[in-house]
Amino acid sequence: MAIFEGSVLDDARAVIARYPKGGERSALMPLLYLAQAVDGRVTNDALVEIGKLLGITTAEVEAVATFYSMYRLRPTGTHVVNVCTNLACALRGAKDVYEEAHRAAEMDHGQEVSDDGVLTLHEEECLGLCDFAPAVQINFADHDNVSPQRIRELITSLREGSVPEPARGPVMKSFRHASRVLAGFDDDPAEGAP
Amino acid sequence: MSGDMVTLTIDGKEVTVPKGTLVIRAAEQLGIEIPRFCDHPMLEPAGACRQCYVQIEGQPKLATSCTSTVAPGMVVRTQNTDDTVAEAQVANLEFLLLNHPLDCPICDRGGECPLQDQALEFGPGESRFTEAKRVWPKPLPLSPLVNLDRERCVLCARCTRFCDEISGDRFLELYARGAGERVAIAAGEDFRSPFSGNTVQICPVGALTSTPYRFVARPFDLSTADSVCPHCSAGCNLKVDLRRGEVVRQLARDNLDVNDTWNCDKGRYAFRFPDSPDRVTTPLIRDRGLEPASFGEVVERIAGWCDGKRVAFLTGGRLMDEDYYALSKLARTVMHTNDLDHRRDGGLGVSADALVASGTATATYADVEHAKVIVVAGLDAEQEVPILHLRLRKAAKRGAKIFVVGPRVTRLHDVAAHILIRAGAEGEAFASSQEQGSPLAEVRAALTEVGEGGLVLVGPRLHDGSSAWSAVEFATRSGARWAAVTRRANDRGALVAGVAPTLLPGGRNVQLAEDRAEVEAAWGGPLMGAAAEPGRDWRGILEAAANREIDVLFLIGVDPLRDYPDADLVARALANVPVRVVQSLELGSLEPYADAFLPASAFIEKDGHVTTWEGRSQRIRPVRGGKGISRPDWEIFAIIATTMGGDLGFDRLDELHADMAPLVASRATTTSDVSPARVGPIEPADGELALFTYPLLVDDGRLSERSDELQAALGTEPFLELHPDDAATRGITDGARVTVRTVAGEAELPVRISDGIAQGSAFVPFNQPGFAANTLLRGTWTIAATVTGPDTDDSAEGLASVAVGGESA
Amino acid sequence: MTFERRLTRDWDDPSVVAVDGYVAKGGYGGLKKALEMDTGELIDVVKASGLRGRGGAGFPTGMKWSFVPQDTGKPTYVTVNFDESEPGTCNNRELGERDPHRLIEGTAIAARAINCHTAFIYVRGEYLWQGTVMERAVREAYASGYLGKGIAGSAYDLDIVVHRGAGAYICGEETALLNSLEGLRGQPRLRPPFPAVEGLYASPTVINNVETLMNVPDIVFKGAEWFREMGTEKSPGTKMFTVSGKVERPGNYEIPMGTPFRTLLEEYAGGVLAGGTVKAFTPGGSSTPLLTGADLDLALDYESVAAAGSLLGTGAIMVLDQTDCVVEAARRMVEFYAHESCGKCTPCREGSWWATRVLTRLENGYGRQEDMGLMQDMGKNILFRAFCALADGAASVINSSLKHFAEEYEEHVRLGYCPLTGAPADRTPAAAEEVAS
Repeated sequence: MAIFEGSVLDDARAVIARYPKGGERSALMPLLYLAQAVDGRVTNDALVEIGKLLGITTAEVEAVATFYSMYRLRPTGTHVVNVCTNLACALRGAKDVYEEAHRAAEMDHGQEVSDDGVLTLHEEECLGLCDFAPAVQINFADHDNVSPQRIRELITSLREGSVPEPARGPVMKSFRHASRVLAGFDDDPAEGAP
Repeated sequence: MSGDMVTLTIDGKEVTVPKGTLVIRAAEQLGIEIPRFCDHPMLEPAGACRQCYVQIEGQPKLATSCTSTVAPGMVVRTQNTDDTVAEAQVANLEFLLLNHPLDCPICDRGGECPLQDQALEFGPGESRFTEAKRVWPKPLPLSPLVNLDRERCVLCARCTRFCDEISGDRFLELYARGAGERVAIAAGEDFRSPFSGNTVQICPVGALTSTPYRFVARPFDLSTADSVCPHCSAGCNLKVDLRRGEVVRQLARDNLDVNDTWNCDKGRYAFRFPDSPDRVTTPLIRDRGLEPASFGEVVERIAGWCDGKRVAFLTGGRLMDEDYYALSKLARTVMHTNDLDHRRDGGLGVSADALVASGTATATYADVEHAKVIVVAGLDAEQEVPILHLRLRKAAKRGAKIFVVGPRVTRLHDVAAHILIRAGAEGEAFASSQEQGSPLAEVRAALTEVGEGGLVLVGPRLHDGSSAWSAVEFATRSGARWAAVTRRANDRGALVAGVAPTLLPGGRNVQLAEDRAEVEAAWGGPLMGAAAEPGRDWRGILEAAANREIDVLFLIGVDPLRDYPDADLVARALANVPVRVVQSLELGSLEPYADAFLPASAFIEKDGHVTTWEGRSQRIRPVRGGKGISRPDWEIFAIIATTMGGDLGFDRLDELHADMAPLVASRATTTSDVSPARVGPIEPADGELALFTYPLLVDDGRLSERSDELQAALGTEPFLELHPDDAATRGITDGARVTVRTVAGEAELPVRISDGIAQGSAFVPFNQPGFAANTLLRGTWTIAATVTGPDTDDSAEGLASVAVGGESA
Repeated sequence: MTFERRLTRDWDDPSVVAVDGYVAKGGYGGLKKALEMDTGELIDVVKASGLRGRGGAGFPTGMKWSFVPQDTGKPTYVTVNFDESEPGTCNNRELGERDPHRLIEGTAIAARAINCHTAFIYVRGEYLWQGTVMERAVREAYASGYLGKGIAGSAYDLDIVVHRGAGAYICGEETALLNSLEGLRGQPRLRPPFPAVEGLYASPTVINNVETLMNVPDIVFKGAEWFREMGTEKSPGTKMFTVSGKVERPGNYEIPMGTPFRTLLEEYAGGVLAGGTVKAFTPGGSSTPLLTGADLDLALDYESVAAAGSLLGTGAIMVLDQTDCVVEAARRMVEFYAHESCGKCTPCREGSWWATRVLTRLENGYGRQEDMGLMQDMGKNILFRAFCALADGAASVINSSLKHFAEEYEEHVRLGYCPLTGAPADRTPAAAEEVAS
């Protein structure tokens, strides 16, 4: 099934049109986000289709997709929870938050998706929330000063189907929604909802 | 000039090099070896492996010599004179070897591996690494030809840069990052590039290996000799590796004037034909069947057949200059005939042929590289002369404007403008380029603007006589240079030697008294009888043979049932000519016809020259002795001459060279300006398409025999390519099996719909396994055809197909 | 300490996030003035201000602009580096989020200075909300005539495109950022050619940091002299600092260049958490060499920090107190560089990977005596040897932690466990295997 068809194809064309003539390849990163917004991850079909849209090979697309950590090419939960464990957060207890996140989600280390398909946990490098350490992002929306107890609440809430209000900006209803926003479409969040 | 030169000091030695030279290259000129992995002189600098550190005085950090350009007065110290540099190189090798498996004893590269060699010379000797190494599943087949062992890879990016910068076939990419970075190919894709083998050759470790050589030999088992590729007219220089006398590997050999340092996969991997089990290395004579006999006996019989008879010669395009010359002289001075031809098309017309054969009209690879505007007409360079394709890409990179004129989009599509013209109409397009609305107006304007910087390459699709001439006139009118591009390894040498019905050696026209006189003076007597008149071309010879007007037909290095664009005519000619003498590596499809067989040496067994499309005659030395009692073709011709009481004037190669040299030397000629008669294809009528064909690089040709991995990697099934509109009007969908019908025959083929073909044209590859397209042809390479889809199929059952498979397989 | 806040002066006023609120406070005044100046004049003002790039390298901004050739026949580009990813650093995040139009105004002035008509703001992917804030502000600026055709009533056209990153620290390196913006892997490019000559789309390009550009509107509006009223002679103006780790009030603080670290720590960040003491700190983010509690009176400006053996970097101060293990901190920081290494060059890709393994072993109590020498060598063999400066961050951590805390390393080896966590390392075979892998 094609990913870039109908309104998504229109969106893709709009993304390409952001960049100067001759610089169309710049659209590659937002197009990967757009595909991720459709499928909840970047699929093989997406790599092929994006290559065709931009006139480059699938390998060229995949080379880029695998370089950046925010594209997920493997199975992914509805929500992606990122726990920063870099130094500033580690000094404030991030490791405990990360471990508690696994317990709350009932996930093993290395498990990509929770058994119910709701969650993917990700140990993150610095998220730029050092002033609110330990920091967590749910679908790239910020949660500040997250204690082990707080991460348990956040994860429980996600597992019960409700996405907690972030510290700033709107709720990102899913990883797909966040991906759509990252593709540069924030006007109609409903559009990106699963 | 001195303003463009820079003098610097490396390890206390002064060297003067052109401005812009990299320090690592300047050091090479002094004989100073700086270790390196990512650096490659034909690729853009990367600075990735960090092995080539040097200290440049005044710079705070060590510099990589592969990315630093020279500056006046620069003082450079290498590992030879600077301990910090030496230590840094040791440290870097320690890093590089952390994750390397050190499986040299089972690695194809062992013994000739830059990593192994440099680790030994510049490395730490011992590693302090005690952790577990990175591992990857191994090997990862990238194609049936190329395998990747990722844990051996040092991520130098030579292979990926080759794909990006040189071939443009971007199948290989670096994936992921950091310690997880790896060379990879997209899931479900094959490394389907006709240049894939170059990545194996430039891999500085054993990460990329080729299937045909994998686990076959150790370097110390090999004997190596230089050679030149026998396949196409590119003339790629080769290194041939033999193990116990059998070719096991071919590598590209550096020659910056010809192939830079590359070759194509056919040239690299189609090397098994000299050792084919079908090879015949004994003379044969038909008695109660084909039976072995001595050379003397067979030649005696041949001499008897030829004496006073009407003899004609057809050759392929892959003999050596010496062979062609000997044949040219044999035909004229002993057999007294001009009925000889190496061609299978209409050529350039005699005027342009003479300009080419005399060396007057020519261009070199360097001319291609430096041209400002290039018109590639009637040539699918990637498929027909692959190294020319790479040189065209290089020219594009330097800023050349390239136009491809022909019926089909080529793999230059990303660097060239394609002007699609219906097959067979190219000549007219060139002839009428000055008219209002000409599709070539832009091309003409671009050429005119650059004058001598313009170059028109007249490719095989135009070689029907008049079309080529139109292109030549187009070039001349625009002030551009032109050159003819032929396909087979020594088409050009054959033309120069005069294996053509009208041309004597050196492009001398047999019809022009002064030209003829020069040859007669050299050969010590007048050309007598039919030898003083223009002979028949290949088609004339075959027609005459079919009409029983020829008594003895020599078939030399040619497989006419497959090679000529009229299978029916060839079959009739072979049936009707009384005597057929075959001189080749094997009998092939001629086995039922041959009355005598003379075993020829393969190119790796011969001493001689081969001439590139440019007209560059390159020396080839034998890499091994002759197989069985095969002999070089020229020797066989000399023996025949002697046996018939003639004398070619040479028994040894040096004598031949002395005889040949004055006649084949380049000389200035003027054209007689005779416009050749139109021999173009039949104009397709309403509802018909112009069906055209040419051989793809990897096909069912004799020289690709037993190159199974090559076939698997790059081969393709027979197909018919149609423009979407032409398909739509016939209700044909992609992949459908359709019927193609011409006056010569009909065939059923699967369709590929492509907007990369001119509307009104249809393409079929000439010789893919299972289908010989010459069954659809009637002497020209383009022909009117009807194409009907399965739904509209109205073909009568009774019309027997002469097409599929058939006797040519 | 009191002074007139510049970059953060409107942080308490959420109305400036909208264009009307920003304009009401004098916003876009600098741009209007810039549009009336000729480009040479404009560059001269920025040069005279002494403004230095805030992204880490401290290169004079006006000079950077003056390197852009105007006669190449190609377009020129301004690219805003909003890829703030240096661990410990988050002031760009807050600057952009609280005052987005100041960034647009600074970008527009930079564009005017080099005759650029298309500018890009490259926002790191994880700054999802800040990217959205910028997109919305850009849309508003178009609607209000500050972007698009004839900006701010002039005849000058300018488009701004917001481009999101996707999780790669290396894209903060300016040539990697350009590759990323062109849809390529974010690996750094060879220099020369420098971006000023051949940058985005092989055209002359200026790349500026967010904080740098947000200083520009006031410099143009109020003049170079005004800018120099604060800070030091060679490092004029104020600078944003992020203080994090073991402090009472982590946060982003604007202070004049040259302010002592002690002032920042105690007056702004509320001192060390729970009355502890400073054991070590990074003065400019995790890639800058660690300093120790002995350096509290260090003046925070480019020159002074360099004299102390470190770098001002992004002004990201992460504070370790007496309870924190330096080996573990080093391990975590080096692991970051291993994770973020682009893979292009050997010392970075392999060195950071190997160093992470050795440091993990040391922290877990599996260190060996010879590991000290090995780490010394590794730091030496990575520093200044890689393609770009990323690996230098890893080397700085290794070298500075060994320099200041050698005995702590040795104690790990001697005890067979981390002396600060105190818990003897679990020496089961399984754990040993995990360490080894």
